[in-house]
Amino acid sequence: MSRREVNQSARKARRWRKVTSRSLIVALVLSMAAGCSSKDIPRFAMPDPVTEQGRKILTLWQGSWLAAWFVGAVVWGLIIWCVIAYRKRGEKVPPQLTYNGPIEILYTVVPIIFISFLFYFTARDQSDINKLSKDPAVTVEVIGFQWDWQFNYLDSANEKSARTVAQVTGDNAHGHPATLELPAGETVRFKLASPDVVHAFWVPVFLFKRDVIPGRVNQFEVTIDADKAGHTYIGRCTEFCGLNHDEMLFYLKIVDQATYKADLAKMSAQYQAGSSS
Amino acid sequence: MKVEGLLFAGVAIFFAGIDIVYWYTSHDPTGTTALALAVALGFLVGFYLFITGRRTGIRPEDRPNADISEAAGEVGFFSPHSWWPLFTAGAISIVAVGVVFAWWLAIVGLMCVVITALGFVLEYYRGVHQP
Amino acid sequence: MTTVTHVQPLERRAYRRGSALANWLTTTDHKLIGQLYLTTSFAFFLLGGVMALLMRTELARPGLQLLTNQEFNELFTMHGVTMLLLFATPLFIGFANVIVPLQIGAPDVAFPRLNLFSYYLFLFGGIITLSGFITPDGAADFGWYAYTPLSSAQYSPGVGGDLFIMGLTISGLGTILGGVNFVTTILVMRAPGMTMFRMPIFTWNILLTSLLVLLVFPVLAAAFLALEADRKLNAHIFETSTGGAILWQHLFWFFGHPEVYIVAVPFFGIATEILPVFSRKPVFGYKGLVFATIAISGLSMTVWAHHMFSTGAVLLPFFSFMTFLIAVPTGVKFFNWIGTMWRGQLTFDTPMLWILGFLTTFLFGGLTGVILASPPLDWHVTDTYFVVAHFHYVLFGTVVFTMFGGFYFWWPKMTGKMLNERLGKVHFWLLFVGFHTTFLVQHWLGVEGMPRRIADYRVADGFTLLNTVSTLGAFLLGISMIPFAINVWRTWRHAPNVEVDDPWGWGASLEWATSCPPPRHNFTKLPRIRSERPAFDLHHPEIVGRPRLPEPEPAAVAAGDGGDS
Repeated sequence: MSRREVNQSARKARRWRKVTSRSLIVALVLSMAAGCSSKDIPRFAMPDPVTEQGRKILTLWQGSWLAAWFVGAVVWGLIIWCVIAYRKRGEKVPPQLTYNGPIEILYTVVPIIFISFLFYFTARDQSDINKLSKDPAVTVEVIGFQWDWQFNYLDSANEKSARTVAQVTGDNAHGHPATLELPAGETVRFKLASPDVVHAFWVPVFLFKRDVIPGRVNQFEVTIDADKAGHTYIGRCTEFCGLNHDEMLFYLKIVDQATYKADLAKMSAQYQAGSSS
Repeated sequence: MKVEGLLFAGVAIFFAGIDIVYWYTSHDPTGTTALALAVALGFLVGFYLFITGRRTGIRPEDRPNADISEAAGEVGFFSPHSWWPLFTAGAISIVAVGVVFAWWLAIVGLMCVVITALGFVLEYYRGVHQP
Repeated sequence: MTTVTHVQPLERRAYRRGSALANWLTTTDHKLIGQLYLTTSFAFFLLGGVMALLMRTELARPGLQLLTNQEFNELFTMHGVTMLLLFATPLFIGFANVIVPLQIGAPDVAFPRLNLFSYYLFLFGGIITLSGFITPDGAADFGWYAYTPLSSAQYSPGVGGDLFIMGLTISGLGTILGGVNFVTTILVMRAPGMTMFRMPIFTWNILLTSLLVLLVFPVLAAAFLALEADRKLNAHIFETSTGGAILWQHLFWFFGHPEVYIVAVPFFGIATEILPVFSRKPVFGYKGLVFATIAISGLSMTVWAHHMFSTGAVLLPFFSFMTFLIAVPTGVKFFNWIGTMWRGQLTFDTPMLWILGFLTTFLFGGLTGVILASPPLDWHVTDTYFVVAHFHYVLFGTVVFTMFGGFYFWWPKMTGKMLNERLGKVHFWLLFVGFHTTFLVQHWLGVEGMPRRIADYRVADGFTLLNTVSTLGAFLLGISMIPFAINVWRTWRHAPNVEVDDPWGWGASLEWATSCPPPRHNFTKLPRIRSERPAFDLHHPEIVGRPRLPEPEPAAVAAGDGGDS
């Protein structure tokens, strides 16, 4: 190609790049704006957490993303700089630099420092979140099976002596997911078990999920915020478990402690009478 | 073959170290076994390369100032074309399909594998009487 | 008897005997076997893409419009396995086949018939795997991870699952033998003066990838055969009461994580080959790149359980730390690539555009990967569309972008013709916009609550708009293949032959020191090798600051094959 043709096609390419990058940004903003409210943006799409553990996770999420955006800005910036500043001008051959020890060591060491910080916060938070207390206020045994949920309210967290006092079973096949009712402001222990395949128990507003694995009982605890009474949230199975995996839903209903006591008593009576709702 | 041997020896040493750390911290038998097998592979190949390297000495491709003419002459035998890869792969596929559908098919396939594998390996093992 | 022919491009007919079909079926030429691999894996890519378009069409709006749950589950299972094991993995073998012997100055690979054998194992294995679609119960539908006990005979009866397992075992055997071939070739068939630290980075990457293949594909084969034993022979290897569910996950991911590096590392190598040519500078930090790649490969085998953070059954700090650590050598490679462009004279031919696309895309995938390395963050987003977005950014960003970069770059070397630049740029921009439109919004979807592997969602979920946007992007992605098809056709029919060894002008490695395409055994004469850029030294001696070299020695490589094929 002659130099004129090269310049013309370069200019055309530049114009196309501007058009596409601008339309990409527009598309991005539109889609993000439409998919969520402005309140979600500071949380970087995370749902508003309802537990103490969830709030820890949210802080870690926001901090990690700020670090990620910073690194991204630096590296994308460098790439864009190269594309703009070092496009071919003239026939001069550039210096054939092959290595630069100090700089190479610098960009090996700095990332190590970065990830050390990330790892420290990660390790601190994960051991915190995984803690199990001696005597949680509520203990729920969660049975996940193809393709529904059963919640057994236990009278204690003791492995050997706990007994079921109330039971809720879902009916997703007819569009009636089970509702798990929990009291606000209390610590809840979950015990997860499956009689068939691997499932996962996910409540998005917990910002947490755990697998439900046949042959093993997983346990975790959350402390629900006191001010979240009166809300119902969706829960989902998030480990592919067969044909109707996408319909394996449940609801989490958070109520104040008085309502919880009353409802639990009602459910207990029903359970003793031999029926489960 | 020193660099190559070092590469594989490095594999063995690295995974050995990781394996020890992993076992002491997790006591997970699965991962520990898998990593141990990786150590074994690294050791096997690395050891072989060191021994062979010591026997063959420095080759032209190990010397930075070697001339192309040092490798002049016959490099080796390169098969011009062959039907056996197709047949052998076909035989193995019969075994696979046999495992899925019918045991007798797998056994037929196994016999085909024996025949085609022998044909593949012995394809160029033929010679004329030479006093 | 070997005949030394005067080399003319595209006179390959002189080497053929018998019908064209028989020649392709029995070829032992690594360049042709490589093209078989490239074409077949690209066909699987298109097939997997059709599966994706079907799924995205279904997911555009709530409610089941096009597919049943069963069909959707089969599609995402087969899409995953097709893309990873029938497209990306054989694709790297294809590129390695075409390029590596040329780059080290070898006449062919160490085991040419084994090479063809590996190809057939891949082809037949892939066909067996996909043949599940034509069985009455359909293809495998338990996800390509095949978690037990869902993949057991009890929960997934039907031959589709067995065909999946046996087909992949066969194909995996082909990959293992390919790994054997490349390791041997690189270790023993280099030309004089081609020391290990003068090999091109692409060849280094193939060596390390082949090593990974040897280390982990046997584990996959063993796990699959054990699963098949459970399914067919009523073995109890993955019995849930004895921890079988977690056992499967450990075995699968011990393979599964290195697998994604197996499909990434060769393509990092392609990026490293293309950047210097279009920056008119050598690779920056050659030794650093080699050690970084060694670190990545080694560490990739120590992070497998980061796919199992939500099981509650794995040692979180160990795997989290190793996963964070792997970001460091990856970052080193990034800065080395930028260093290659730094103060260069960049031109934006199509191959370079593709690599710039790779750099921008893979960077974002890497950043989301660092987020995922943290278990407290992973617990929320694992098994959601956030992970789907992450792995498409890293996998598609690496494999597909650099694949097309490699195609446009090495097309003249493989076929003797150059692909059209303008069509190439249209292809690139359509794909770039289509890809980001499809997958960027999926990050948001996952975090706000959309799980993966669901055939449908409800209106009340609020996922609809972003899903529709994603589907539109997917169709744009599909359409972007059309300019490429037109380009390939037009080039084959009308493009002029390339008369020079190096049409790009600034090639560094040995493949650019022979004709386009090369003769049957690659070189009629090899240049002297005194650095990691032998073709550059040959073609630009004035830049290297040495007086013009004497003519290289003639007829350096003679193959004793008793005839040409």
